Amino acid sequence: MKNNICFNNIYIPRAVVLPSVIVLETTNEFSKFYEFCRFIEKYPNRNFPGIDTTMDFSLIHQNCFKMFLPEVFLATSILILTLYAVFIATSKKLGYPLIIKNLNRLCVLVLFMTFLLIHNISVSFLLFYQNTFIFDLLSSNVKQILVIATLFSLVISEDTVIKQKINNFEYFILTLCAVLGLMFLVASYDMISLYLAIEMQSLCLYVLAASKKDSSFSAEAGLKYFILGSFSSALLLFGISVLYGMTGTTNFDNLHLLLSGLGYDTSFLITSIEKALLAISAAFFFKVAAAPFHMWSPDVYEGSPISSTIFFAIVPKIALFAVFVRTFQTIFSSFEEFFIVLLIFFSICSVIVGSFTALRQKRLKRLLAYSSVGHVGYLLLAFSSNSLEGVQALFFYLIIYMLTGLCIWSVVLSINTKTNLEKSKTLLDLGSVSYSNALLSFTALIAFFSLAGIPPLAGFFAKLEIFVSALESSLYFASFVAILSSVVSSFFYIRLVKTMYFEKKEEDTSGIPVNHSCSLVMAFCSFFLVYFFVDPNFLLLLAQKMALCLF
Amino acid sequence: MEYFSIFLMLLVSVGLACLIFGASYFLGNQLPDTEKASVYECGFDPYEDSRNKFDIRFYLVAILFIIFDLEALFLFPWSVSLSYLSSMGFWTMVDFLFELTVGFVYVWKIGALEWE
Repeated sequence: MKNNICFNNIYIPRAVVLPSVIVLETTNEFSKFYEFCRFIEKYPNRNFPGIDTTMDFSLIHQNCFKMFLPEVFLATSILILTLYAVFIATSKKLGYPLIIKNLNRLCVLVLFMTFLLIHNISVSFLLFYQNTFIFDLLSSNVKQILVIATLFSLVISEDTVIKQKINNFEYFILTLCAVLGLMFLVASYDMISLYLAIEMQSLCLYVLAASKKDSSFSAEAGLKYFILGSFSSALLLFGISVLYGMTGTTNFDNLHLLLSGLGYDTSFLITSIEKALLAISAAFFFKVAAAPFHMWSPDVYEGSPISSTIFFAIVPKIALFAVFVRTFQTIFSSFEEFFIVLLIFFSICSVIVGSFTALRQKRLKRLLAYSSVGHVGYLLLAFSSNSLEGVQALFFYLIIYMLTGLCIWSVVLSINTKTNLEKSKTLLDLGSVSYSNALLSFTALIAFFSLAGIPPLAGFFAKLEIFVSALESSLYFASFVAILSSVVSSFFYIRLVKTMYFEKKEEDTSGIPVNHSCSLVMAFCSFFLVYFFVDPNFLLLLAQKMALCLF
Repeated sequence: MEYFSIFLMLLVSVGLACLIFGASYFLGNQLPDTEKASVYECGFDPYEDSRNKFDIRFYLVAILFIIFDLEALFLFPWSVSLSYLSSMGFWTMVDFLFELTVGFVYVWKIGALEWE
């Protein structure tokens, strides 16, 4: 046993461990130094001539703290904003003021600062806090995208929150907490931190869904989301515990080393780990609403106040996908055959369910929920090709999808603002928008055509990338089904456009005032939807950088 | 054999519980009345219709109790292992207590602790 290392009671050949630990995929001296210290920390009994191995490791964590500067800033701001809001809002002297608008703008400011702080970190790879968290290009880019998307969704929903009379300031603080949870989720490199981060963000989302206290639909949405979400969290925890029971570790790095080093001889271990993989991916499919587990999403989208729906629809998906892809590429990369079959099954289910059920929807929010189920299907197809191109296509599609989503939701917010907001919007409300506000309907046309994947728009490239990568990995049947359902789904996007342009609504065809922030976001998104068709290199490179972190 | 001591512990604790409960049941004087014999459940009748309305403040107090209970639970292992921790471990707990205090201030100001 002299050449082996005892590692949680399992002996693995030193030849497997050492290269992986010593590989210094780092760019600056500090991280090299840190990696080396980590190595010494792991094997304290080895003698390193000339190096004092009894150094104080707490000093190193002070530098790790710098990696978490954006998160620390966001967390501190949440605390300060909570105190500020609660003291102002309950102040008798000021007459119990409503500080919704004020707090919304403060949150936007905080998010912008957080974005700058993330952007400012110059380290490109670091594992820190005993390998619990990772900082690489994937996590930092996804964090930036998350923060910016939340910022936009807060900006467009500002007026709506006021109109819906969600008068509790906790709404915005919970949004910030959810973003903080998502940022931890993206950075997590250990099953424990992954689970805690998922819980943190989903607890905030449950409350956001139920935040309209006087509406029973909102309460129902919150309760449904809570019950099904905790069910999926329980599945995730089950998978993690099986994995821990089989290997004795929860760390991604250790799991990667253990599962790739063991080989296929012990079949009980393999089947158990496949069960763990099944449970973890089922939990993940629940969270992103892939097809057989999508039942909660239309109800939650429909019942929640529209400002929360926008947040659910746009923000959490990219973080969940990033962490899911990371989990599979690092831990389960030797179980390819098993999980690709799984992914293809869920992908086919999602595209079929997404396109065929959305055909019969009368309400806009439900329709968009089902269409997002379909898009999750395409994303899973991209992932199941299990190649660099596939993961690149996945991130490319996600970013384009977020842009389109922002555009569509600001259109949904802008139509029909004169009638009652309580009533949820149906397809008929889109009628004759082109007569009352031609620019608005044209923006909506760009967004819907991009979702459908019609050529002079960015959505076309996004879909093309996915199908090309799937065909290159010989997933002929899955791509065939996905292309066919993409044709079906383009029917209802085009029907929306037809409603806007060719159907006349009886009442109220006067001009609709669109609020300033919504119009800015719409202009921004629709510009980039056209621009990324002409020159998608920037996004493709970004997506490739993110994908390269995993291969 | 790894868990034999735990098994012994289980046996002893079950035996002790039976002994104490049995002794008080058989040896003590018992004068039951309706109030004593009914199940004690925070002032509610446990067998009434489950659809009755009751005050949500019971829940609020219970949730707040759990949070501060867990805080105490978290403090015990920390204080035992404090000598093994670096300054980072110390300040982490101070930060935790601070954040909990912020939550407490919030709860206080929002009026969740006022019964009337």
